[in-house]
Amino acid sequence: MNYPTKKLKSILAFSFMICFAFQSFAASWNVPEDQKTRNSYIKFDASTASQGEAIYNANCLSCHGDPGKGNNLKSLNPIPPELSSVGSQNLTDGELLYILNTGRAVMPSFKNSLSEEKMWHVISYLRGFNKNYVQTLSSFDPSKSKLVKLVANFDKAKNAFLIVAYANEKNGKKALVGSEVSLFVKRRFGNLQIDKTLKTDGSGQAEIVFPNDIPGNKTGELEVIVKLFDLNYGEVQTTSRLAIGVPTNKPGLNEQRAIWNVLEKAPYWILFLYSLGVISFLIFILYILNNLRKFRISGNK
Amino acid sequence: MSERINSEKITADLLRPIRLNKGFMVWMGVLSISLLVCLFAYFLQLRDGMIVTGLGDYVSWGMYISNFVFFVASSLIGMLISGVLSLLKQKWAAPLARIAEIIALAFAAVAGLVIVMDMGRPDRLLNVFIHGRIQSPILWDVTVITSYMIVSALFLYIPLIPDLKICAQKLTNIPPFARKIYEFLSLNWSDTPVQRELIRKSTRTIAILIIPIALAIHTVTSWLFANTSRAGWDSTIFGPYFVAGAFVAGTAAVIIAMFIFRKVYHLEEYITEFHFDKIGQLLVLVSLLYLYFNVNEYMVPAYKMKRADAFHIHELFVGSHALLFWITQLGGLIIPIILLILKPFRKPIPMLVISTMVLIGSWLKRYIIVIPTMEHPYLPVQNVPLKFSVYTPTLIEILVTIAPMIMVLLIITVLAKVIPIIPIHETIEHQQEIASKKK
Ligand code: HEC
Repeated sequence: MNYPTKKLKSILAFSFMICFAFQSFAASWNVPEDQKTRNSYIKFDASTASQGEAIYNANCLSCHGDPGKGNNLKSLNPIPPELSSVGSQNLTDGELLYILNTGRAVMPSFKNSLSEEKMWHVISYLRGFNKNYVQTLSSFDPSKSKLVKLVANFDKAKNAFLIVAYANEKNGKKALVGSEVSLFVKRRFGNLQIDKTLKTDGSGQAEIVFPNDIPGNKTGELEVIVKLFDLNYGEVQTTSRLAIGVPTNKPGLNEQRAIWNVLEKAPYWILFLYSLGVISFLIFILYILNNLRKFRISGNK
Repeated sequence: MSERINSEKITADLLRPIRLNKGFMVWMGVLSISLLVCLFAYFLQLRDGMIVTGLGDYVSWGMYISNFVFFVASSLIGMLISGVLSLLKQKWAAPLARIAEIIALAFAAVAGLVIVMDMGRPDRLLNVFIHGRIQSPILWDVTVITSYMIVSALFLYIPLIPDLKICAQKLTNIPPFARKIYEFLSLNWSDTPVQRELIRKSTRTIAILIIPIALAIHTVTSWLFANTSRAGWDSTIFGPYFVAGAFVAGTAAVIIAMFIFRKVYHLEEYITEFHFDKIGQLLVLVSLLYLYFNVNEYMVPAYKMKRADAFHIHELFVGSHALLFWITQLGGLIIPIILLILKPFRKPIPMLVISTMVLIGSWLKRYIIVIPTMEHPYLPVQNVPLKFSVYTPTLIEILVTIAPMIMVLLIITVLAKVIPIIPIHETIEHQQEIASKKK
């Protein structure tokens, strides 16, 4: 009688231990040291927090819930942590930024959808739930990004983009070495990254091969975005339209006659059947009304 | 000689109810006051918006739409009794035809209004006609319901013409304007062979054409659901399923009306136990048909148990809607069938009780068709308050739902007060036929 309960207890204890093990495993993000110590160049205040709240509500709320309310989506595995919790708040600003950039399994990467500035806004909002938080501002000057010149040339022969980045410092041009560059093509619902994010070489250059099967518009035009991130100069991006895609000319879904289209573009068969119904009905009513007219005339007062 | 007396007695008997008496005034007073209360609830809804209802993003079709389906359903009975039964030469149904037509017209006329009550911005109603898309079942529904209403009105009116003349001639203490209206509406009826033939032809044409139109109104109403891919609605038998259900609801409504008119208007000689027996059999027949569709409707998805269907069926059979579901299926369909198969139950009073059960069951059935499906959409419901996805009607909503029911009762009451609810001319003709056969 006693034995099974004991066994059960030990099983329970064991599974608890496993859970905790996973928990602690899940909690460590192994953020590289140089990322961990990064700080925001934006001063966190009420305005940044409220901008961050809007971004949070649009991008994070569905999983993490309202901070402090515990309504995070418990049906996911792992459970998205409650971000106002001590555990999450113990992460440094740099770690939070890193997590947003990289993501992990269920937690999406926001690298391509949120700018660094917006990520800082979200972090500013999250820090509002931590009374003990004191911000350390980074000495980084965002206006330095204005000095950066980012050039992306498409090389037809190589079918690749040659990207050159340098900064126009007072003492002349300075190649940006080891900065992250990435290439995107604008699609209807967001940006499609081409190849991986690369680092610029010693002369501030990077080469990204461009696939030749990306559908463009009628003339094959694509909108290409090059993004650069440098620890000292911040974020820079350039956009250009180039005819390097596959020309595609598919009529829009709302151009042909279809069930889902507007009345003027209703399918003929529906127009026919509907009108047939209505016209037959009208003929029938006219017939009856005419009978009534004859009826009235034929009777004597 | 005796025949003359007979027809005079019939005329007197059937015209007797057409006068203002105290009972009528009290009943109208009660109806009007209740209607005012309900309309006040509707005013609140207009003023504050749909937020006063239990409707939301997930359950955007609630009681109002169930009510609408119920109304369209009940209106179908005109076609069954006056159309189908008369074409099948079921003579016993003749005295009930007008009651059925009045019920049909009243429900069809109010059904459109029920939809307007479901609208957050009824002032934009005209947009349906200006910008309506022929591809949308909603537009077809508007079209067929309007058509059915017109046809039902004609179906009530044309056989009524001779009786209107009788009213104009025989009703003594009515104001002159009322007599003028009867006179005008009777279109110079003078019982000539040409006129008889015209009435016969027109009634027959309508009796035939009302069948496709009535099938269309309820089939199209069912398509409002079945043309989506949601669990519980995505079914190919929804059209006939709705039509069969409509016959059940309508027949029950007619039985209740028969009972009440028989009592209040003292029509025991004209609506006899024989009629109750017959229409009781009719109710069994249509209920069995409906039961058959019910079995099919739940059996097929329950055998396959596709994910969404499985959830839906689970909710209905043992889940949060189970109580309502079993009350509806047992109390509104299965028990009535069992009872009505037994002859002793096909008597006026038991049938009144059974029909009331069936009618309530019919209303609940519409609720069960509309709401549970709405409560579980395909996309996961995330981070919204529970009340968004679980539907609980509010008091205002309930009152606004009752309003159209009162309107139907008002229309039936008024129509049954100004026209003879049993066809006088036809009854006399029928008597004469019997008499001449005897000779
Ligand atoms: C699809 C659901 C989902 C969305 C959307 C999402 N997260 Fe997460 N998030 C997760 C999950 C799951 C984890 C845990 C991941 C792990 O431990 O592997 C997580 C972890 C985190 C962590 C680490 C917390 C800790 O204590 O370890 C942070 C910080 C975080 N998310 C912030 C955000 C922010 C800010 C957003 C919006 C910009 C966001 N998340 C959007 C699912 C989501």
